[in-house]
Amino acid sequence: MKSPTPAIQIENLTYAYRRAEAVHDLNLTVQPGRCYGLFGRNGAGKTTTMKCLLNLLRPQSGHVRVFGLDPAEHEVAVKRRLAYVPDQVAFYPWMSVRETLDYLASFRVQWNRKTEQELFARFQLDPARRTGSLSKGQRTQVALIAAVCPETELLVLDEPTSGLDPIVRREFIETVIGAYQEGNPGNRTILVSTHLITEFEGLIDEFTIIDNGRTVLTLDSDQARERYQKIRARFAQSPPELDLKGALRVRRNGRELELIANGAGPELMERLRQHNPEALSTEALTLEEIFVATLKS
Amino acid sequence: MILQINFKSGMPIYLQVVDQIKAAAASGALRPGEVLPSIRPLAEELRVNRNTVAKAYSELESLGVIETLPGRGCFLKGNHSALRKEVRRKLLIVEIDQAIVQAHHLQVPRQEFLELVNERMDVLEDKRRANVNHKEN
Repeated sequence: MKSPTPAIQIENLTYAYRRAEAVHDLNLTVQPGRCYGLFGRNGAGKTTTMKCLLNLLRPQSGHVRVFGLDPAEHEVAVKRRLAYVPDQVAFYPWMSVRETLDYLASFRVQWNRKTEQELFARFQLDPARRTGSLSKGQRTQVALIAAVCPETELLVLDEPTSGLDPIVRREFIETVIGAYQEGNPGNRTILVSTHLITEFEGLIDEFTIIDNGRTVLTLDSDQARERYQKIRARFAQSPPELDLKGALRVRRNGRELELIANGAGPELMERLRQHNPEALSTEALTLEEIFVATLKS
Repeated sequence: MILQINFKSGMPIYLQVVDQIKAAAASGALRPGEVLPSIRPLAEELRVNRNTVAKAYSELESLGVIETLPGRGCFLKGNHSALRKEVRRKLLIVEIDQAIVQAHHLQVPRQEFLELVNERMDVLEDKRRANVNHKEN
């Protein structure tokens, strides 16, 4: 069977603002139907990467393809099939929420009124309010409604939850992503960039961690949680000299030992067990812990 | 039925959903014919991807644990396994072998292990009985 055209394909992308290189030789492929996370610290190159996908910036070397098309050559065809929420949301402040959505809908072939109403109710937004008087969180909510209602094949979200309070964050991200996917289960693709990884823990199918514009790690989330383990051991006396090759990080504290393992978890467990620890336990790292462990090592 | 996802267990999320629904069915917390939560609300409640819940449900369906009635939702099936007895035994043997290996490492000898199995089966029976009595009252 021929594999489907990736929703997004980035090959050896490099982009520099004058002499400051923002993205260096980046590779990334997003298969259709996936919810893909682009994780990195502030300034890691997430926004630049996304802007290259939208033809807001032209790659200086390398290729980007969206639905197999070059966004510079087929700008309209590409933009018709995706929705984008930038990191800074801006609307005309004199328009009401209702007018803003109608205005944005006028550029779209399709607009799901039912989803719009449902999300309005969930967010308790007043359609008559002028967008200029909305809080940052409410403006983001409007932007997300505007991104979901056209029912495009691809949703690109740049830091959709940064700057928002934790309650709002928790609530709306699942709501929005759920509403978006529901329309065509298994076929709608999401690319989301963030450094607030915990909120997206259960939503992300696959992710890439970038740092200084370079790919550090690309993994499937379930595989990541299986591979990265935190192992804790406590011994009767101070821990013996052990061969801990394969451990990403080792912390010692008196009789206790804490290891971060990447794939070598079972072997390390076995080696620790041979020294008869009083207690030995293991747990998976969360995606955020993997992020931190990867960037620190 | 309240499900709980643990991101630190290292087990794929969809399998956690599958296991917990199987456990609820075994203990009688979920009864044959009872409706399961729909995909999207459950996904939102668990804070996981909708596709993950959909994958869990289709796995449960292929195992014969639940059935989907178009437009009405997913329901727990009665005597569910569509597999032949030998196949079912083989599947169980894999799990038992794993538990035996675990028992060896945790220094639980044969007799104690067997007693524990008996004890755990009693616990499940009790739960089942409690759930059934509750239904009758």
